[in-house]
Amino acid sequence: MTASRTSAQIYATLFEGQLKRQIGKEINDAIGQKFSLFDKIEYRTRNIHSKNLAESIRRTHIYSLTFFTLTIIIGIFTAIYIVALISKRIKTMVKLAENISQGNFTAVTDDKKDELTNLSSSLNIMSGNLRRIMTELQSRNEELNKFAYVVSHDLKAPLRGIHNIVNWIEEDFGAELSPRLKEYLEIIPQRTKRMENLINGLLDYARVNKKTDSEMTDVAELVQQIVQDIVPGDFSVQIAQLPDIFTERLKLEQVFANLISNAVKFSLPAKGSIEISYRDLANHYEFSVKDAGTGIDPEYHTRIFEMFQTLREKDDKESTGIGLAIIKKILDELNCSIRINSQVGKGAEFIFTWPR
Amino acid sequence: MKRTILLVEDDELDVISVQRTLKKLNVDYNLYVAYNGKEALALLNDPVKPITPDVILLDLNMPKMNGIEFLRALREYDQFRSLEVFIMTTSAESSERLKAEELGISGFIIKPLSYTDNTKRSDSMDAFVHFHLRKILRA
Repeated sequence: MTASRTSAQIYATLFEGQLKRQIGKEINDAIGQKFSLFDKIEYRTRNIHSKNLAESIRRTHIYSLTFFTLTIIIGIFTAIYIVALISKRIKTMVKLAENISQGNFTAVTDDKKDELTNLSSSLNIMSGNLRRIMTELQSRNEELNKFAYVVSHDLKAPLRGIHNIVNWIEEDFGAELSPRLKEYLEIIPQRTKRMENLINGLLDYARVNKKTDSEMTDVAELVQQIVQDIVPGDFSVQIAQLPDIFTERLKLEQVFANLISNAVKFSLPAKGSIEISYRDLANHYEFSVKDAGTGIDPEYHTRIFEMFQTLREKDDKESTGIGLAIIKKILDELNCSIRINSQVGKGAEFIFTWPR
Repeated sequence: MKRTILLVEDDELDVISVQRTLKKLNVDYNLYVAYNGKEALALLNDPVKPITPDVILLDLNMPKMNGIEFLRALREYDQFRSLEVFIMTTSAESSERLKAEELGISGFIIKPLSYTDNTKRSDSMDAFVHFHLRKILRA
């Protein structure tokens, strides 16, 4: 029993111990080999994969960079194209607007249909309207010139006639006339003269709208000339340093002539004095004509600039009430202003602005 | 020598002024007055007693037939082709003057529109007419 158990034990020991171990080892080795083979394959595959991944990342980078660059380039070109397209059309319209501002009313043709089309058609309508108005204005101006001619010619002719007849009466019947009749006769030329002044004043007033030529004007010389022409010798005249201006000389002359002649008319006997000065302000010049005459009650300071308002008696042959109205009209047209500082008995100072 | 003058003028006062002046000037004259071009042509073509003026004083602005129209008609006649014509007008239009000169005139006198500035006698209408008529008639 012991022996069999022993042999069985030995068998078990041998078989279980030696063989199993041997076989187990072999199996283990085989598995190890398999695993190492598998590992090798696995690592190779992984390597390839990671290589592929890196490659595709790189390629993606290149692609995305390319696309990004392309997008930017296309974007820039599209933007440039659109900007050029719009700016070309805007330029056309700016050109049209410039033409309009220079008095050249041409229409633009614009066949596209968008928001800018509205603008161009609006500009075209405006240009058309302006052309129509300008033509109308020109014909009105011609009409006015004709009217001025008729007024000066046909209204003055009867005055001339009246004047002549008075002359003939005095010449032919001078000796036979009673002093009373002579006195009355002498009033007639005064009135015809006044009528003529009114006609001339109305003509001047009607012509204010007419654009006159601008030229370099030495204001001091211009004022000096007026003073020489209309201010009596016994007046004290002070003219400050005056500027040179590029301006419508005729109109500035009209303003100064009217103001200076007013200063002469309303001066006190033997106390004639006129001061002319100016200030150089930021946006315009400011001229002042100051006299030491009778002065004007503040009550009348606005009324004197209206047509035919004279504060003198109606038979005064020198005062027609048009001079200041003309000045006001000239200055209104130039967006300038005039104001007066005066009190009765303290002289008057007229201050007006003039464009730079 | 007796001068025959034809005055073509529609303004009565201008006519009077010429008459007064002629009286003052020391000349022997016959003055005929027509108030427009038609009347002047009628005087020149009168079937009974046509006038033969030595000089014509012609206004431009007249009704019915104005000065230029009359001058054109006048120059159609052979006998009036070289007749002395003086224009006396208040119109200073250069186109009118040019037309008149093309038709042949001896002088173009522009009458001032205003004599009301006459502090001096010489500025009066009579003085003006006197000055020019004396030259025209060489009186």
